[in-house]
Amino acid sequence: MGNKPIVSLRNVTKRIGGKVIIDKLSFDVPRGEIFGFLGPNGAGKTTTIRMMVGLMSITEGEIYIDGNNTKTEFEKAIRHVGAIVENPELYKYLSGYNNLVHYARMIPGITKHRIDEVVKLVKLENRINDKVSKYSLGMRQRLGVAQAILHKPSLLILDEPTNGLDPAGIRELRDYLRYLTKEEGITVIVSSHLLSEMELMCDRVAIIQQGKLVDIKLIQDFTGRNDTTQTYLIEVDAAEHAWSVIQEMDTVSHINSKSEGLEISTDREQIPDIISRLVQANIRIYGITIQHQTLEERFLQMTGSEQIG
Amino acid sequence: MVNLIQNENMKIYRRIRTWIMAILLVFIVIAASLISFFVENGQEMKAGEWRTQLEQQQTDYKTQLAQPELNKQYEIVLTKDLALVEYQLENSIPPLDATMWGPINGLTGLVFLITLFVVIVAGDSLAGEFSTGTIKLLLIRPASRLKIMLSKYFALIIFGLFLLLVLFVSSFLINGALYGFSGWSQSYLNVNAEGIIQEESTLIHLWQTYFLGSVATVMYVTLAFMISAVFRSSAMAIGISIFAMFAGLGVTAIFQQYPWSKYSIFANIDLTQHINGSPFRDEMTMGFSVGTLIVYFVIFNVLSWAVFTRRDVAA
Repeated sequence: MGNKPIVSLRNVTKRIGGKVIIDKLSFDVPRGEIFGFLGPNGAGKTTTIRMMVGLMSITEGEIYIDGNNTKTEFEKAIRHVGAIVENPELYKYLSGYNNLVHYARMIPGITKHRIDEVVKLVKLENRINDKVSKYSLGMRQRLGVAQAILHKPSLLILDEPTNGLDPAGIRELRDYLRYLTKEEGITVIVSSHLLSEMELMCDRVAIIQQGKLVDIKLIQDFTGRNDTTQTYLIEVDAAEHAWSVIQEMDTVSHINSKSEGLEISTDREQIPDIISRLVQANIRIYGITIQHQTLEERFLQMTGSEQIG
Repeated sequence: MVNLIQNENMKIYRRIRTWIMAILLVFIVIAASLISFFVENGQEMKAGEWRTQLEQQQTDYKTQLAQPELNKQYEIVLTKDLALVEYQLENSIPPLDATMWGPINGLTGLVFLITLFVVIVAGDSLAGEFSTGTIKLLLIRPASRLKIMLSKYFALIIFGLFLLLVLFVSSFLINGALYGFSGWSQSYLNVNAEGIIQEESTLIHLWQTYFLGSVATVMYVTLAFMISAVFRSSAMAIGISIFAMFAGLGVTAIFQQYPWSKYSIFANIDLTQHINGSPFRDEMTMGFSVGTLIVYFVIFNVLSWAVFTRRDVAA
């Protein structure tokens, strides 16, 4: 274990027919985190993930999983990896249980007991002997999760796992991923275009665009939660009066008039002073809220909105 | 590796289509056996009328041979047949058709149907995993692509053997029931190129026929598997292979006069041609055909391997 990153990409390049899909991508995924992989459509998220799990060849560069080069030691590298690549496509003519038996046979050391355990974990006990063709999309997703965690992987790779899940299913998956990282120390790499989901799910996100790494940060740093200067929304009755009061204070760097009230940027320490000034000026305050920038806003700022394809 | 083959077996035998094929095979065996027993002369042969029938044949052959301007090829065939009939009459050996072994032997022709079935499964084996997307979850396991490919290939061979067993057991049971489970010491008579009559064990002859027929099965299955791996299209793999099965020899026959036609896979795929003494081209021997088939076999498999192990799984 230790603190060595579980996945390392080193100058990974993918060219298909002379077109550069991934351009010298290098980053590390730390252990025990939920690591989000973001990018507009066609940025190369899926290609990168497929190179990690050996579905696509790497034109140049290396990917290491747990220190094993995926090119030269593929079987060793993939041994502790579980994955769902897009929709979990399982054998429809087999029962859910036989699908799991199928994957269990491919990795040594998975007992019948473990299969039953996983079935219970994803709550499919009642339908596990039905053919997969009779499953709903949500049930298939759960079976997909089951096959991915069957061998107790130390790394779980999920490509667009929330596709086709209803809100309850997404929440269930999110809670389950949290459980896996906290209790079992699993690292999760998840790619998605659902930014609000990623914001709730991930500890750290990497943004790629046109095959290049744009940025990689803890989620709090992206949304500005750790900044000292924050933006606050103050709901007041007399906006114009309040404006003039606040403008006199030199600690406020920025004032903006909104329909709900005033938006100001300042240090956390200045907030009590501002409130007492406003109260002294007989201005009624209905509420003060911190305005975080959402991941979506940051994402669109960083990638530009027109970059699709 | 054993686990992987078990997986592939599960994917074959847990599908309804597999059992439809097996049942269809049994059904055709039963129908053909009943027709040959009741509609053709099987019943009379069994009833011991074979001696009169053979004598009838003997006179037929003699009158035909007595005719002037007889085709040279036909004369050879007739002489062989006549020698056989006379040998049987002299030694009181009933023809195979008077026992269950005759029809069982006749039904070896259904190896062709087995080839068809295994080709269908082979064509779908890899291509089907691509078209349904299951290939993704299959390849992200600690098993190399070579092992996955080999396990599929072995499972196909096992499937072929399974159908062969179904063919043997069903034709044995139905014809045993019709003709009686007798004639175990029955010999299979064969006239060799020098016109000498040889007695062979019928069982050995039967399995020799099955075996030589299976060589063609293996070759067509390898072809279907290769197309399946290269083009990832079940329809294409199955279609091209079945077309080759039906039209291959016919097309090759057009070029029979050219010496290079002997290198065609279709000129060699039927190895019984060397046992019957009628090769595609006179200079071809059993050794030549086996050698040529091995070359094709290796080329097909190397191509499947080279394409499949390097292919990017997109989509």
